[in-house]
Amino acid sequence: MTASGAVYDRGYRPYDGPRGGRGAARLALFRVSLRRALGLRRPWRQKVAPFLLLGIAVIPAVVNVGIGYVTRDRPPVGFEFITYRDYVVVSSSLFLLFVALTGPDVLCPDRRNRVLPLVFARPLTGADYVAAKLGAIAAIVFAFGVIPQIVLFGGQMLVGNHALDYLRDHAAVLWQVPAAVALVAVYYAAIVLAISSLTPRRIVAAAVFIGLMLATATVAGVLVGDTKLHRGSAAGLIDLAGLPLHLRDLLFLGHLDPAGPLSGVAAGGLFAVIAYAAVLSVALAVLFVRYRWEDR
Amino acid sequence: MTVEPLVRATELTKRFGPVTALDGMTVDIPPGRTGLVGENGAGKTTFFRLLLGLGRPTSGRLEVGGRAVDQDPIGVRSTIGYMPEHDCLPLDQTAADVVATFAELGGLPPRAARQRASDVLDLVGLDEARFRPIAGFSTGMRQRTKLAQALVADPQLLLLDEPTAGLDPTGREEMLALVERVGTFGISVLLATHLLDDVQQVCDNVVMIDGGALVVAGATEGLVQRTGMVMVDVGDRAPELVAVLMALGMNAAVVDSTVEVTVATEGDVDAIRDAIADLGLPLHRLSNRFRSLDDVFLTAARRS
Repeated sequence: MTASGAVYDRGYRPYDGPRGGRGAARLALFRVSLRRALGLRRPWRQKVAPFLLLGIAVIPAVVNVGIGYVTRDRPPVGFEFITYRDYVVVSSSLFLLFVALTGPDVLCPDRRNRVLPLVFARPLTGADYVAAKLGAIAAIVFAFGVIPQIVLFGGQMLVGNHALDYLRDHAAVLWQVPAAVALVAVYYAAIVLAISSLTPRRIVAAAVFIGLMLATATVAGVLVGDTKLHRGSAAGLIDLAGLPLHLRDLLFLGHLDPAGPLSGVAAGGLFAVIAYAAVLSVALAVLFVRYRWEDR
Repeated sequence: MTVEPLVRATELTKRFGPVTALDGMTVDIPPGRTGLVGENGAGKTTFFRLLLGLGRPTSGRLEVGGRAVDQDPIGVRSTIGYMPEHDCLPLDQTAADVVATFAELGGLPPRAARQRASDVLDLVGLDEARFRPIAGFSTGMRQRTKLAQALVADPQLLLLDEPTAGLDPTGREEMLALVERVGTFGISVLLATHLLDDVQQVCDNVVMIDGGALVVAGATEGLVQRTGMVMVDVGDRAPELVAVLMALGMNAAVVDSTVEVTVATEGDVDAIRDAIADLGLPLHRLSNRFRSLDDVFLTAARRS
């Protein structure tokens, strides 16, 4: 018996399946950016940073739950290894590092490799592009900020003897945590992407972002001084990295942190909100101008 | 039967400050394969950008498939595939990922996008290389990837900007064969190039522009029609034939060692044949002289 084979030219088949419009294209760009930031479908090295940071972010929650489990019969009165409000600060420090790594990585290569003309030849606008990229980074930061808090909340609830009581007593954090983390996520994502939109080089964007955050924090720290010794100052608003944390305090406490850099500043909360909105607006304006693709 | 134009430009003008990129261009481009010919800076890429709705005309109107581009740029863009001239691919990704991504950006669901990407990469001859990073691709493979991403969302109109740029002769032939083949799938192609040979080889229609203005447009076959001249190759005894034909009152001359003769009737061709026989000359070739697109372009540009 002899085997016989044939080579078939499959030719071209027109596509007659479902086809989305602008929304589908925006969602596709969001998915692609999400995958890229998380290192999915990329070499393992690209996956290390995001998932290592997530692992580190969860450690305080695990420790807290562990302490709660060990001391479940004799819970220490007035002791908490970490509070939900403090956790936002821990997460935000990691967010800074995370967005410095991933923000430039999802934006700079498109400009460097001149992919943008191809992207904008699709049914997308510059605003769609910005929304997809910003949404991807902010969504990951939000998830990385909320996941540890879910571990903390779920763990605390389950290790105690009165889960429902814990749920009732801490119900407020169920909206406070997502709201605070969302404020931080959108803010950091917008700033890092605005900076990344100005250069095709990832390393430059990351360095400028980290440098800007450190420099403003240092200047604010010097100008405000030690708030344990005297009142704070409006100069605390200079600290770009700390700005969303004032809003976190407004969400959790209803007022600014009495020991914070804006303590004692008249209408400090209002100034913090205005400064936050102003920085966010400038970052978004930069992004929309940089990706206004018509007539360029 | 009148064929509705796929692209209709009416008094289309585009200025960038003092520079006029397109100057009152009015042209109807029918479905099929059309060459957009012009020198560098003639306005080809600007025309493409206007077609994609990435720029607004200073004045005039542009329609694709009956839809005004300035009124529905997103809708028009969803029917177009675009292959730019320059490098535009993310080098750290595989061809399969890149093409699937652009299929998704064209509105295809993720699963269908990956399937289409696989099919189209197979079609352009990159089936075995599709899981390799583009950074390791040759120029020809990158051009094929660019063509694949333009094709993957099944466009009605394909805009190809200098698709043979940077390719060696074999790669160029393969790319032109692909372009010709794409045209048989019912996808219209607008091929921008400054290489008239490419257009003559694969395009049914030609639009020639110079300095942003239309020079000439029409069917390739019509433009390269007979010139009313025949070319006769009789080796190195061409001057003898010219002398006899001149004596018969015909207009003949030696051009590049070939005799070019103006003929008005079939009888003139018979007279040439008889003269060759009488002189006992070896006849290597006797053929109609067709105009090349170069002739058409140069003549029309000079006239305009």
